[in-house]
Parts: sequence; structure tokens; C-alpha cells
Amino acid sequence: MSQLHESLHSEMQNQSGAAVLDVQGLTKRYSGGVFKRNPIEALRGVDLKAGLGEVFGILGPNGAGKTTLIKVLLGVVKPTSGSAHLFGQSVGSVEARRRVGYLPESLRIDRHHTARSALAYYGRLSGMTSVAIAKRTEELLDLVGLSGRDREPVSRFSKGMYQRLGLAQALMHDPDLLILDEPTDGLDPVGRNGVRRVIETLREQGKTIFLNSHILQEVELVCTRVAILARGKIRGVGTVDELTQHLSSETYRINLESAEQFDRADNLQSIAQQIGIDHDSLLCRKRAEGIFELHASLSERSQLDSLVDCLRESKNSIQHLEKQRPSLEDLFMKLVEDHGDRAE
Amino acid sequence: MTPYFSVIVDSFRAAFASRVLWIAFIAIWLLLAALAPVGFRLEYTTDFRAGDFYNGTRLKAMLAKGTVDPAAAEQPIGRLAAVLPDELSRQLKRVGEGDEVRIYLRVFADALNECLDDESWYSQEAWEDTLQFRELRELEALAEPIEPTLRRRRARLRIEAALPGVFEARSSQSVRLTYGGVDFPASFSTDRTQFLTLVNQYVLPVIIQWLMGFVLVFLGVLVTASMIPEMLQPGSLHLLLSKPVSRSLLLLSKFAGGCTFVSLCVTQLVVGLFLIAWLRLDIWNVRLLLCIPVSVFLFSVFYSVSTLAGLIWRSSILSIGVTCIFGSICLVVGVIGGLFDSLVTRPASIKHLEMVGETMIGSTRGGGLVYWDQDSRAWNEIFESNPLGADRVLPPVAVNENQLITARVRGGRFNPFGSGASDLLVMSRENGWDGEPSMRLPVSTTGLQLSGDRVVALSGSELASVSLDQVLDAVGSVTSPGTQVDRQDGASDRGSAKTGWMEKLSTMMGGATEGFESVLPKGISLDPPASLYMDSEGKFLIVYTRGRLLRFEPDQGSDRLWRQVSVRATEGEVSSRSWIAVSGKLLLLAREEMPLEIYDVVTLELIASCVLPDSISPVFVEGIFDGAGFLLGTSDGLLRRVTRQHARGELSEPLGSSEVECVCVDAAKKIAYVVHHVDQVDVINLNSFELIERQTPQLSGWRLVEKYLISPARFVTPQTGELGETIEAIVSGKSAMTVLDGPSAGEVIRYKLFRPIVSCTCFTIVVLVSSCLYFSRRDF
Repeated sequence: MSQLHESLHSEMQNQSGAAVLDVQGLTKRYSGGVFKRNPIEALRGVDLKAGLGEVFGILGPNGAGKTTLIKVLLGVVKPTSGSAHLFGQSVGSVEARRRVGYLPESLRIDRHHTARSALAYYGRLSGMTSVAIAKRTEELLDLVGLSGRDREPVSRFSKGMYQRLGLAQALMHDPDLLILDEPTDGLDPVGRNGVRRVIETLREQGKTIFLNSHILQEVELVCTRVAILARGKIRGVGTVDELTQHLSSETYRINLESAEQFDRADNLQSIAQQIGIDHDSLLCRKRAEGIFELHASLSERSQLDSLVDCLRESKNSIQHLEKQRPSLEDLFMKLVEDHGDRAE
Repeated sequence: MTPYFSVIVDSFRAAFASRVLWIAFIAIWLLLAALAPVGFRLEYTTDFRAGDFYNGTRLKAMLAKGTVDPAAAEQPIGRLAAVLPDELSRQLKRVGEGDEVRIYLRVFADALNECLDDESWYSQEAWEDTLQFRELRELEALAEPIEPTLRRRRARLRIEAALPGVFEARSSQSVRLTYGGVDFPASFSTDRTQFLTLVNQYVLPVIIQWLMGFVLVFLGVLVTASMIPEMLQPGSLHLLLSKPVSRSLLLLSKFAGGCTFVSLCVTQLVVGLFLIAWLRLDIWNVRLLLCIPVSVFLFSVFYSVSTLAGLIWRSSILSIGVTCIFGSICLVVGVIGGLFDSLVTRPASIKHLEMVGETMIGSTRGGGLVYWDQDSRAWNEIFESNPLGADRVLPPVAVNENQLITARVRGGRFNPFGSGASDLLVMSRENGWDGEPSMRLPVSTTGLQLSGDRVVALSGSELASVSLDQVLDAVGSVTSPGTQVDRQDGASDRGSAKTGWMEKLSTMMGGATEGFESVLPKGISLDPPASLYMDSEGKFLIVYTRGRLLRFEPDQGSDRLWRQVSVRATEGEVSSRSWIAVSGKLLLLAREEMPLEIYDVVTLELIASCVLPDSISPVFVEGIFDGAGFLLGTSDGLLRRVTRQHARGELSEPLGSSEVECVCVDAAKKIAYVVHHVDQVDVINLNSFELIERQTPQLSGWRLVEKYLISPARFVTPQTGELGETIEAIVSGKSAMTVLDGPSAGEVIRYKLFRPIVSCTCFTIVVLVSSCLYFSRRDF
């Protein structure tokens, strides 16, 4: 896997466009305090760059440090070491935040607000004038589909309406960088589609979007580049294609008929030994009586030949053989699991 | 609109969305609606109340005499006694026969009130010899028939004339409160000025202090405690912190916004009270509106603590808890400080200083008597000050370089007009200022003066004198160890064959006792509030009572009787407290709520006047020396010089130290001893008004604790309780209030105007800066 890491990290140096977001050697250690637990190292030397007009996705398992990274970018927490800049301004400065819009994961808007008054409030906090607020409010209410509900108290809003209002407030002052933390969380498919369309529209307008999402499909669909973060370190950065093409193994799906209990562990282990691969590289699922689906991760073409020979020698009938394209999820799981093995 | 202003405005919106706010609004509106019907009307003071009697013992004795003495039957007291209810008459008869009978003053009041409607007791001939003041003379001159109210007023004045020295001087008009047009049962025997003082200095501050200082602050803390913890919720805080705003200013804006809740309530309440006072009581007091910022400021002190606790623990419950603990600490420190004030500092305060030769002798507020020991640089006690005691020491009077006279009245503070008589005490330097009993003083003596070679005692509304030689000769003749104790009502003499009932009644009336002889002409009494100045050489006496200045001089051919030589009626309320002093040929009359007036001491003609600032009132006056002016102690604790510049008096800038307690002037040496800060003494040159020396006494153990422990604790702890005094000072526009301490003396309690503001401001700033630092530097 070291080869993979090296190649992925080399991609970081080839990012295109002016750096809207520039993070270098960023570490964040939460001190334990006198009566608290041991210090936690949430970020360990993170390097990232995102250019103008990019939709940059950040992926990682729970506890990977994604939220900490976003908090550092917003100036909510201060880095322990390293540097982070937005638009050339150090994060934490008022100037750096002036061009940033943010949609938090669990948005809270005071219950006394209506959609309109909330937008006005957050617009003023962003330094907007009353005239600009009035104009922008109408546009955004239309954009997020809250035009008819703009004078209702937000306490009556559904989760989806709440999330759309949050997106509107993030866009209120027409920011150049939009940081979205789980923007489709809690939305139905229609809502998710709507958010995706908004993101695409913004991308077309040249806005930079920093997207944190657990939904890999969504990231795959909208992000121009993706970074994978695990245990406080960046494990890979690039486009989805760039990342997946670096996977060293290829996956094959083989449908076969077998009179025996093919999916027995000792059987699979025996096959793996015969062709010289790790037994974890073979995954078998029983589809019906006597019908099995075998997934094999193979690094060399000769191993496929050996596998086919082995199957046929064992009187198994191969019905279908297909080479599968590696998905972002494969890459994600691979990187995360790989790192997990090494985790202290 | 700046981002921070929008946070404040948002807090207003949040407050208006709060149900608690509307509940508080409704409660305030209901309170104001309940107060709105309160009104008043002025009426003549007619009915007697128990509080109108200055000297109940004298009243009892006079009416008893009228009941039992056949010679008094056709005198006013006899005619009045004749129409009293039977039960009261029987009791008075027993009094006249020497029995100890307790009669409540309200019984007298009820009986005399019955006399107001039926004037069968009145006889022009009988009242001819009584002293009739201008108002009574004017009413007597009215042609019949006169209005029933005026008739009752006239009857009251006739009764007062028949019983001189019994009644407090009351305003001719009373304020009667009404509610929705219906009269309250009782009326205030005060004039409009005093009514204004009452409302402005007591009623409104108390309402505001309790409602705002306690209810609204507590309610406000409960309601606003959740604001900071709610702001710190991740979805809310991260969104706010992502905006281009400063964290510190954001927090301060939230803090200011939190104060909106209380400001909305306070504004309605104060404006409502202001309108009621204006429209219903005809009191235009714009200062009342200043209570709005002060009350919000008071709340901000507590809210700053709530904010810091909310930041640290992010819990509304903990914020409320910590704020309550903080409030309790403030309360405890305030109470302990108050206890030290009343039990340690106040009793040690010197309220009167007298120079006996080179030795300073002071009487304290704790009923003690002390002398200054130059060697140990400390006040040594002659009589111990007792903060909880009811004893009273008459201000000592130096009779020569080595001796002074005074008296110790047991239970005197609460029984100032008591029927008991105390012994005059003579104290000498040679026997270590140990008091030696001399003659018995007239009943209820409240002050002593030396006039030439005679000692003059002010007893009740009488003046009685005895020769100094007699006093000194009598030393040692009274050997009983209990001589310093009141002989209650002559009880020890009860049954004595030598003591006749008439002598006893005379004693009860404040008449002469054991050699003391009344000196005022017949019909003249010092009805309180009165003040007097007695020439040390015994050449003249000036008295101010019932709105009149009177000058007396020794009667030719008599060494004891005085005759009235001039009189001057003054403008203003007769029930105002007054002080007089003489400097050369000038007489200064200082009265509450009135300008200072300078008169010619011989002719009593008004020469000059000087208006005092509204916020201060006189506390004492002393003449300096021949025509050099006067020293005026004022309610703000400062000492000023009053001089005459042609037709107007001039008030100097404050002289020397603050917190002045009293002054003793040595005219011969042209120096003044100014007691300040409890018991420190500044010796001042009266020519240059420069400080000659300062005597700072060694402190006792408790005083040291007060100085080095309690005072620092009070300095560090915000004095939120004392902000109530700030409100009182603002509403009343005064720097102090006067609490009566005896029949003629008043203790001035200065409002702590700036100390609580400074301590609360410093505390709030420190807490807010700490909160800002915490909020700015902490990761969330």
C-alpha cells in the first residue's frame, strides 16, 4: 500500500487553479486537561489545497478528523501547528471568514425566527446592507423553495425545510467558498437532488465548495476532487478516477454452479493457496442452491488464469465472468482498512 | 446596522417571543393599574394622633393636674380635663393621687379628638393667658359661622395652646391619600414639601428597589440564563463563529442583548411609576427615570456572572446556581459589612466633641463617652459604647479647664421623654474622668449648656437652670451607687410623706427639680423641632421654635429668669428641623429644605440668605468667631464655611476631610477640631483653614478586623445591595437621609452613591473581560 500512498500524495502537488483553501502540515491536538482523558490528536499533518471553482469532497470514517478540519478552516478551533489559509488569509481572521458560507451539520436557528428574519439576521452578521439583504432573500427563498413559507416560524419547519434554510443562509452573502457539512443529511431523495442541483449551479458560477458527506455516491456525483481522511491524516487526494486507477488489484465477479458447498471457508482457503493469493482476496456469496457468486481481487492476470483452471479442475461450471471497475467505496474501504491495520 | 447591533436587536426579538416576558409585562401592568387610582388631597390638620404627642408624660401630668387641682378648674387644662371621658378622668385622678397609671397616647388622642367637635370646654377668658400663634389668632379673628373644618382646626390649636410643650409642631395642612376618589382612613400630618420628601425618599425608592432590585433581577437571571448555553450549542455556535465577527464583541452583544429583558420590564415599570407620580400625586420627578439604567446595571452585574458560568459549563441550571451563589455571597458580605457598620463602626463614631482644657472628650453614637489619650494615641472609654444598648450620654459640657458635666440616661434612646430623672455627673481630670453624681436633672433632659455661671438643662420643652457652684457643691452629696440610674417616675419616692402630689406632677411636667429653676417666661415652650443657642457668657439666648426666632435676655433683678426681647416670624414649614449658631453679631438659621438665613443677632432682622444645593441639607452649624462666619456640616459629609457678603450668604467649597461627624470650635484659639471618618480629628486653623495636625487613633481589635478584612472583602465583592441606596439617592435627589435619634437629634445616614457603582462596575468589567478572553481563546 505504500506505493498507493506515494502516488496519491504526489497528486496533491498537481492540483490545478488558484488555491482558495491551502492547508499545510496542519495538526490539532486536543489537550486532556487536568481531570480529563489523554490528549487526542485529531489532525496529524494535513496538507490540502483546493482551487477556485472546485467542488472538493472530504471523506473519512467517524473520528477521522473531518469536523476538526472544518472547524479549523472556520476558525472555530485553533490549529496546534501548521498553517491554513483561505483566500490567502490565515484562518481565524475575520477577513478569511468574510468570503465563506457555512452550513453546519446540525443547524440550530432560534425558534423566534421566520425564514425571512433568519436570513436577514445572518445576512447582517455577514456584514450585508439592508438593501442587499432584501434582494438576496427573495432570490434565495426561490432557490431553496421556501418562498411561500418565508413568514412562518422556523419552529414549524420540517427537517428538510430547515436544511434548505441553512443552505440559503450559507449562500446569503454570496460567498466564494462554501463549506457544507452533511448538506443532504435528513433530506428525502427529492431534497437531495435539489441540493445537488444547487451545488452544480454554484460550481458553474465558479464558487468553491468544500463538501463533507458520508454519502459516497453523492460525493462521487458532485465532487471534482476528493480527499480521504483517516485518523487525522490525508490518505488520498484527487479525482475519483485518479484515485481508483491507483488501486493495485482488479476485482472479478465469477458466477458458477457447484455441486459442493463451494462457499466453505476451507474450500476458499485451498483455492487461494493454489493460486498464491491471500485468502481474504476471495469473497463468496451463495445466490441459490448450487449457484455461487465469487469476488476475487487479483493483482496479476496469471492469477485469473490459475483461478479459472482451479475452478474447472474442481468440476465447477463457470456461467459468467466479469471484470469490475473499482468504486470510490472500494478505494475508501481499502484506504481506511489499510490504515486501520496499522493503527496504533 | 452593524453585525453586533443586529445581535442586540435579535435579543429584543427573542425577548418579545418569550412567554415569561409577557407574563412579567402583565404583572407590571396589573401593579401599575392597582397603583394608578392612588391620589391625594390637602386638608387642614385637625385630628390628633399618638405620634403628635412630643411629651406624653407632660400631657398626662397636665391633665391630671387639671383633674385634681381645684385651682386649675377654670384654667384651660382644668376645662379640658372636665370634658374628658369618664374612664380617662378616673385614670387621671389616680395619676394625680400619686398612682402609677399607664395611659396609652391613643387614648388621649381619641379623647382630645372628641373635644374638637364640641367646644363647650372653651372659654375666651381661660385662654387669654395662653400663647397663641399667628394661625390661631387669624382663626380667632374670623367671623362666625366658620367652616366646620376650620372650626376643628381652631379647636385643635386651642388645645395645643392649652397644653404647651406637649405637642410636636405640625404642619397646618395634612395630606390625605385617596384611592379611586375614596379617602384613606389616616392622613399624613405633613405639608406638601414633606409629602414630596416622603414619596421621593422612601416610597418610590422602596418600590423600585424591591421590584427591580430583587424581583426583576431574579426573574431576569432565570430567563436569560439559557441564552449563552443555547448560543454554545454546536449548530448555533459554529454558524455564528463562521461569520466575520469578533468573538469578544459577539459575546458582549449577546450580553447586552440579555439585558434587554430586564430593560424592557424596568422601563415600563419606571415610566408607569413616573406617570402615576406625576399625574396622580402631582410629583414631577424626572430623576425617577434614571432608575432604568441603574436597575439594568444592577442586573448586568448578576448577568455577567451568569454569562461566565454559562460559557464554562454550558448549562442553564449551573448558570442560575452559580449566579444565586454569587448573589448569596454578595448578600452575606453586605450583611456582615452592615453588622460591622452598626456594631463596630457606628457605635465608635463621635457625634459630639468638647474640649476640656487640652483634652478632647467625645460622646459616641453607641452611648459612650471617651477621652483622647495623647500618649497612647487612642480614645479611652469613660462610658463604654454599646451598640445594642439604649443608654444615652448627654453631650458633655466643659465647665472649666479640668471639669465637665454630663449625664447618662438609661434607656434614653427609646425613652427620650421618659419620666425618669438622671443625675448630673461631674467629671474631673484629677480623678481620671470618673463621673461623680451631683444634682438630679429635670425629667427628660436632652441637653446641657453653660451660660455664664449657670448650668442650663433643656428638658422636654422647658429650660431650667441652676448655678454652677451648686452643681459642684452637690458632688458627693448623692452617695447612692444607683444614682446614675433613672428614678422612674419618682417611684422611689412613692408614699413619701415629704413628696406631695403637686410636686410630683410638677416634676412629671418637666418642672424644676432639686434646685433647677425654669427660666423661660410663662407660656413659652420649646415645641419640637426646636433649636437654641445660648451665649456662653449668659448674655442672651436665641430660640427657634414653631417657625419663630426668639431672643431672650436675663431679666433685670433676677439671675435666673429670662425675658423675651425680640421675636421674628420666619417663612417656611414649622415642622422642619433646624440648627442655629451665632458668630459675633450674626445669627445663622439653617433648616431642612430651606435656604440658609443670616439674621442680626440683636434685632433678629434678616440680613442675608443663601440657597443650598438640592442634594444637601444641614447637619450642624457652628459659629467660628466674631463675625468670621460659620462652619456648616452638610448631609454629604462635608464641611463648608458660610460667610456673609452684603445681602447674601456665601457657601465655600468643602473644607478638609470628608465624612465629617462633628466640629468643636475653640474661638479663643481660633482653631476647630473636626471629627471625621468615625473618630479621627483634624485640627484646623480658622484663619487660614489649613490643617494643623491630624489625630488618628489606634484601632481596637474589631476595628482592625473591619479595616483589614471586612472592608477589603466589601471592596472586592460588588456591593449590589448598596445600589439600592444609589436608587434612593437618585430618586430623592439627596445625598443622605436623616433618621431621628432622640427627641431633637437626628442621625444622618449618607447614601453610598458612588462606592456601589464603582465596585459593581469594576467587578462587571473584570468578569466580562474574563468571559471574553475565555470565549476568544477557547476551542468550541
